[in-house]
Amino acid sequence: MLNFVLRRLMWVLPNIVLLTFLLFAVVTNWLGSPASMMLGTDASPEAVAELNARYGFDRPVVVQYLQWIGNAATGDFGRSYATRQPVAEMIGPAIPVTLELTFWTMLLAISATLVINSIPVGKHVVGALTTGISIVGVTVPNFLLGATLISIFSVSLGWLPTTGWRPWSDGIFTHLQHLILPVLTLSAYYFSTFSMIYRAEYRQVEQQLFVRVAEAKGISRRAVSFLHVLPNAILPLVVYIGTSIGNLVGGAVVTETVFSIPGLGRLFVSAIARYDFPVMLTMGMITLAGVMLMNLAAELILALLNPQIRL
Amino acid sequence: MTAVTLRRITGLTLIAFVALAGIFAPWLSAFDPNASGYDILYPASAEHPFGTDDLGRDVFTRVLYGARISLVIGPAAALIVALIGIPIGLVAGYAHGRADQMIVQVIDLFIAIPAFVLALIVMAMIGASLPNLVFVLGLVMWPEMARLVRGQVKSVRERLYIEAADAIGCSRTRILARHIWPNIMHTIAAQLAITVSTAIFTAASLGFLGLGLPPPAADWGGMVQSGFDYLSLNPWLSIAPGCAVAMTVMGFYLLGRTID
Repeated sequence: MLNFVLRRLMWVLPNIVLLTFLLFAVVTNWLGSPASMMLGTDASPEAVAELNARYGFDRPVVVQYLQWIGNAATGDFGRSYATRQPVAEMIGPAIPVTLELTFWTMLLAISATLVINSIPVGKHVVGALTTGISIVGVTVPNFLLGATLISIFSVSLGWLPTTGWRPWSDGIFTHLQHLILPVLTLSAYYFSTFSMIYRAEYRQVEQQLFVRVAEAKGISRRAVSFLHVLPNAILPLVVYIGTSIGNLVGGAVVTETVFSIPGLGRLFVSAIARYDFPVMLTMGMITLAGVMLMNLAAELILALLNPQIRL
Repeated sequence: MTAVTLRRITGLTLIAFVALAGIFAPWLSAFDPNASGYDILYPASAEHPFGTDDLGRDVFTRVLYGARISLVIGPAAALIVALIGIPIGLVAGYAHGRADQMIVQVIDLFIAIPAFVLALIVMAMIGASLPNLVFVLGLVMWPEMARLVRGQVKSVRERLYIEAADAIGCSRTRILARHIWPNIMHTIAAQLAITVSTAIFTAASLGFLGLGLPPPAADWGGMVQSGFDYLSLNPWLSIAPGCAVAMTVMGFYLLGRTID
């Protein structure tokens, strides 16, 4: 196992360095420059040169990258051009918000996927229904689902608050009330994709001999589904869940914007809207590294669950 | 009727509906999609089926004209994905050993990048316009296509008839073009339909975040966003263009999911 971990680390870590460098080079040099983004394309060459010199954009990319990484290692991501705040101070409070949103979304999506798709009763009806819901879930954009939920439950019925985020200190009830619609919106998509992957695998595992043996022994159908088929059908889902959590680490950009949730995604969008280069760069780098590390984590969990993969 | 036929018919119907709405927009509506009027934020009525927006433009008309934009963006982005992804996948699948491994590593590397975040950053850098949008969508979506094509080529090339073609002295190009390509074409076509649906979905999401086509273009994502402030006044401002996105995306998605 240790051997496997080391081998994967040897592969993933250089890739993280390579990809973050590529991203850094793309945004600082190759595709336009921070100066032209901030000053506009018709800025005078003198103004561009002055800005480049002030922020150090005139040095070689490798030097800039190494310096950025060196500073980032000590928790210094630079200062926001828009608010003059240190980037770390802006990102810090957003992290727990996004993490909590991710946690509830994954909890709901994963448990709904496993329970609904493993129930042995009414297979055909449930199957057709989940396939239909899955197709709707992956094709309806989050902004439409969010807008619809808001206009039904908040505007028309008045049951839930429209948007915003309340901390735990405002009371558990208020806190959770503000979470319901965003979590529902986000998990619809994940429930759909998880279901598709899980159902496909479930059908394959169901055909295997050990399932028939379990049935022949007279174990209840529910026990066969949940104790024999589920643990074996869950493997492909593990990797996919890892990737999904990784993507959510960068913030559920659209959903956080729809519900005005002060998480990483909304911070990212507002940084882009204000051409706030340091915040944008930091968010891009963190997301990239986060996704790759989550993929690695998923692979390791999979290797723990299935010894064949370690070979 | 099998599930696959049902999906295909539903998909084609949705696409035809959206395409007809886009093509016949000038006949279906008497209004100019970009002309602002004095009737600001009118509720839905017989004259304005979805009401008017904050600049007094008829939302129904703008939703119709938005179909034109989406039906250009989606296929154009898919074309770029095809032009980059298919050749890379073909070469990787047909090459043996080192070359294949190297290409696979590059594909794996790019697949790991969160596409939407990359699209956001690049759009912000190069600015929003139709060619830029299509370019960015192609840039973030090609690795999936390359991976699929490679897998398909790999599974076909081990068959006996490929070996036979090789044995009678067919050139590599001929084997690829005449023996492998016809067998994988259908799967690639299905994947292209999925690519179109993803492109339209992503373009709408970018538009919603303010990185779509610049105003006054009737960009569905941008319309959803500008209607959001008036959700309690007239939900159709956001929901009508949002439904248009969902219908188009679903149409292409269903068409693509007809081959498993």
